[in-house]
Amino acid sequence: MENQRTAGDHLRLAVRALFYAVFGGAALLAIVTVLSVLGPMLALDLYTPAVAAWWTVFTAIAVQGVPFLLLGTVVSAAIGAFVPEKVFKRLLPRNQALAVPVAGAAGVVLPGCECASVPVAGSLMSRGVAPAAALAFLLSAPAINPVVLVATSIAFPRQPEMVLGRLVASLGTAVVMGWLWARFGRDEWIRLPKRRAQAGPGGLRTFGAGLQHDFLHAGGFLVVGAAAAATFNIAVPRSVLDVFTGSAWLAVLLLAVLAVVLCVCSEADAFVAASLSGFSPTARLAFMVVGPMVDLKLIALQSGTFGRAFAVRFSAATWVVAVASSVLVGWWLL
Amino acid sequence: MSLRRYGAPLLLALMGAAVLRISLFSELYLRYVQAPLRPYLIVSGVVLVLLGVVMAGVRRFAPDAHEEDAHEADGHEEGGHHHHGPRVAWLLTLPALALLLFPPPALGSYSAGREAAQRAAQGVGTFPALALGDPVELTLAEFNSRAIYDSGRSLKGRTVRMTGFVTHGEDGTWYVTRLYVTCCAADATAGKVEARGDDAPPVDTWVTVTGTWHPKGRLGSDEAWPAVLDVTSVERVKQPADPYEQR
Repeated sequence: MENQRTAGDHLRLAVRALFYAVFGGAALLAIVTVLSVLGPMLALDLYTPAVAAWWTVFTAIAVQGVPFLLLGTVVSAAIGAFVPEKVFKRLLPRNQALAVPVAGAAGVVLPGCECASVPVAGSLMSRGVAPAAALAFLLSAPAINPVVLVATSIAFPRQPEMVLGRLVASLGTAVVMGWLWARFGRDEWIRLPKRRAQAGPGGLRTFGAGLQHDFLHAGGFLVVGAAAAATFNIAVPRSVLDVFTGSAWLAVLLLAVLAVVLCVCSEADAFVAASLSGFSPTARLAFMVVGPMVDLKLIALQSGTFGRAFAVRFSAATWVVAVASSVLVGWWLL
Repeated sequence: MSLRRYGAPLLLALMGAAVLRISLFSELYLRYVQAPLRPYLIVSGVVLVLLGVVMAGVRRFAPDAHEEDAHEADGHEEGGHHHHGPRVAWLLTLPALALLLFPPPALGSYSAGREAAQRAAQGVGTFPALALGDPVELTLAEFNSRAIYDSGRSLKGRTVRMTGFVTHGEDGTWYVTRLYVTCCAADATAGKVEARGDDAPPVDTWVTVTGTWHPKGRLGSDEAWPAVLDVTSVERVKQPADPYEQR
């Protein structure tokens, strides 16, 4: 009885395997044939110079982002796995209003562009840092670190006020946004990445799992952002901008919008700003202040990490504060 | 060996392999980013491949408590996730496979035509002496800035040689063009030098031109731009490994 049933099972299994092999194989063969005949024809038709340029810009942004994203996720996974919560409790003032500027100024230490700061801010929050402080860090880190400031001073030779303006306006925006969040932010808007228990004996493995999860997660959203940026890069010619150079106010708003859609890495945006020579210094400052804090790639990364409800509100508010702060600083310094 | 089980490590290794293919095993990365990024790309590629291998090993040989952890960790994130890694991560296969199978070409005349060519604004002044050599090799950017801003006129009487791709203007004028890139191809802007004295090669042909500066317009004025070269020879060349000039 027992034997018969097993024999029957084997037979059924063999038949099923054969069925899958034959039909699956036939289907695969058909698909491959169709693709190999139609594919090249279709590919040649669709592969116009614009599409080729789109792919190049798209992969370029992804390739550019990978090392920085990896740096950010290594730091964030290390914080998650090895740094106990009490370290941050001791380092940051208990008073939120004080913790925000301290965290903002601490942005100086993370030498990366904006891709790195999102996962780090996420893991700071999961380690018990107040969201307001972590958000101030999130905004300031990509804008005021030494690499970015040196790049800015190279892009604007003999204009140290541009570097100073960038530092002041970016730090100001970050701190104001931190305070705004502390005062008006609601917990239900943000999806806190509460994660992984205490650092313990499993530290290394927690580190590996955290790194894998964070990199893949943020990487997926980096790809979304890269696709959006490449689309705008190909769809909006920069020569259109010349139309707006006439009005100072329009110019500021236009460059602030441009910073959002172009998604230039914060280490490169100074050079792009420098090349927009028809615009006022204040407008170019706005471009450099908004870019590292709000752009399509960042909005995608933030919705992935903190949820869409957060990303939309936070980015919109940051954009307004960043523009206001650039105008103020530009009027004062430039 | 299921995709569900090993999907996340596989993705890491795939992305790592793609990065290594363009940075360690070839110089294709220069089509997308600038040379100084190479070591970081190589390190990232190695780290990603190793991490993929290690995490696959962990899944294979010690599939314990951790799965639970991960499950709990992702539990709070609504939709889009299952417990072997975020679903959005599969999008990484797009750039990874593109780089592994058909690396997209360097930007060329299409992008140069769309970006209104820029001239770096700078003041008229004297420049350091031009390097020795006859002809002297120059970048397009250096030729342009010396031609337009050098009150010492260091280009005068010198034979120069430059490399770029061909773009066409109106009425049969043509330019030797190069894209300037700072960080990655997304921030490319164009620079060009008008070539006179020879017929235009087809668009996007890479050429090395030799010739002499043809002064035009007042120094520093809009009329002086773009600079003009009276070419004596136009030689077709292969696209250089680094298709862009660093700004």
